[in-house]
Amino acid sequence: MIRAVIADDEAPAREKLERWVAEQPDMTVVGSAEDGLSAAQCIEQLRPDVAFLDVQMPTLSGLQAAAQLEPSSAPLIVFVTAFDEHAVKAFDLNAVDYLLKPYDLDRFKRTVQRVRERLHAHESGATAVAIGRARAPSCERLLVPDGERLQLIDAASVEWLQADDNYVHVHTASRTYLLRRTLQDLLSQLGEQRFVRIHKSTAVNLGSIGSLTPLFKGDYEIHLHNGRTLRLSRRYREALFARMGQ
Amino acid sequence: MLWALWAAFWLLMIGVSIEDQLRNPLTRWWEPVLSEGSSALVSTGWMWLAVRVRGRYARYLDKPMIWFGSYLRWLPLVFITWITAVYAIRHGVYAAVGRTYEHSGWGFVVVYESLKLTYFTGLWLGILFGIDSYGQWQLQWRRLLQTQKALAEAQLAQLQGQLRPHFLFNALNTVSALMHTDVARADRLVAALGDLLRISLRSNEHEMTPLAEELRALELYADIMLERFRDRVTLDWQIDQALLDIPVPALLLQPLLENVFKHGVEPTVAHVRVIVSVGRESGSLEIVVSNSGSMLAPEHRDGVGFRNCRERLSIIYGNTASMLVRNEGDGVAARVLIPLMDTIQ
Repeated sequence: MIRAVIADDEAPAREKLERWVAEQPDMTVVGSAEDGLSAAQCIEQLRPDVAFLDVQMPTLSGLQAAAQLEPSSAPLIVFVTAFDEHAVKAFDLNAVDYLLKPYDLDRFKRTVQRVRERLHAHESGATAVAIGRARAPSCERLLVPDGERLQLIDAASVEWLQADDNYVHVHTASRTYLLRRTLQDLLSQLGEQRFVRIHKSTAVNLGSIGSLTPLFKGDYEIHLHNGRTLRLSRRYREALFARMGQ
Repeated sequence: MLWALWAAFWLLMIGVSIEDQLRNPLTRWWEPVLSEGSSALVSTGWMWLAVRVRGRYARYLDKPMIWFGSYLRWLPLVFITWITAVYAIRHGVYAAVGRTYEHSGWGFVVVYESLKLTYFTGLWLGILFGIDSYGQWQLQWRRLLQTQKALAEAQLAQLQGQLRPHFLFNALNTVSALMHTDVARADRLVAALGDLLRISLRSNEHEMTPLAEELRALELYADIMLERFRDRVTLDWQIDQALLDIPVPALLLQPLLENVFKHGVEPTVAHVRVIVSVGRESGSLEIVVSNSGSMLAPEHRDGVGFRNCRERLSIIYGNTASMLVRNEGDGVAARVLIPLMDTIQ
């Protein structure tokens, strides 16, 4: 069975999709959401095969929700939108599927057929995530797990990131969140402006660096404003100095 | 153009007088050339001055009396300088070749040349007036075409704004969803959409409509939006029935309700209460569209919808009508005040 998550803030639109997905013999609706944040949460918890995301939703748009997903494990994503020329242009016909409202059953079935083919070819939603990241200003906010729920935090409030196998510890002034992501992917989402890598497994927010102390062999110690000390590997030294304008 | 005509005119004059000389053996060949040449030289000087000020006098082209007057007031000076200069040249040249320039008495010369000058000045001012008027007419015509084009573009943009594709496609999608579950409701929604489009296409900027009609249009819009966002919005109407006949600008209120949905309802998952109220407030009709649960951003600026409303109010009512958007209680309220005619009179 193909497991689907549906997200639309308008009840009639959501119910139409739910009914049509449920009518497909090989599909089942495992969850539905009324806003972008709960959509992302549904996807994280239920790990569906496909997600139908309305573009215009409260809390997070469909594109912003997609941008927060980890590319390799993201479900196939079908964006649903009423009228957004720019979004449709970005969707690049072959890269990702989309439904334009209003759509009829034939159009919906074509989309479903494409979803089946892609699942058969073991494709992931990586392209949709990439489009979401390119289209939505995703580098300003970060979706993190908070107990059972997900919550949005300001990217600026993150002081440093610490890789731990396939997880990343996200350190803010008040607490630490554990994210099932790779450091490389998280950095690509957050963008190059704010964060810089200082070690194979560590990245730091440029704004939280207080001072640097040289060690032997070209390594440095980085002292953060909060008092913590991190190690700057000489491999990343030049890149950091370049970013700090030295 | 003007100078080509001018040159042709003087060549013709000189040509005619040479022709005349050929039949009159008493005069030498250069005498008519000197006569017409000196006239041409001095006249060209004055023509040059006239052309230099044509830009300054162009604004009087639509008042010919003033335009001609502006030039003709120099005529006495033209008489004096022209006659003095031309006869000085002729006497000088004749003296240089050892002859005397003979002409009638000075009294006759002054009167004769002044009449001739008046005649030719009138002719050439007429030509100058014709050329300049034509130029200005062409310029104004081009400007008019440009203005009309800009106006048409603005109207088209407004029409497209009124049709609001996002609203339309979402409404159609709602109909397409309802069709499968509740045909009667889908039917009502299509009818509401049709009525609303009819009203949008029919109305224009300057049209006035009774308040009852305006509220009916607002209700159609609200019906569609409430179907789309059902469970998330409640809408209350608080209408003073005594005011329903008062004329108001058509489609003035829809942008206010659109803003409520765009900024108050769509971005939030919380339940929103919307109130449309109509009442009498110290000699004015007061219409308030308010919503709970959201506040104006601190750097809030009025959008196109509000600006357009305000412009229309000021065109129709001057500064006696007003529109204000501000935070009130736990939400945002847009207040429109329209003067009541019966209290003004």
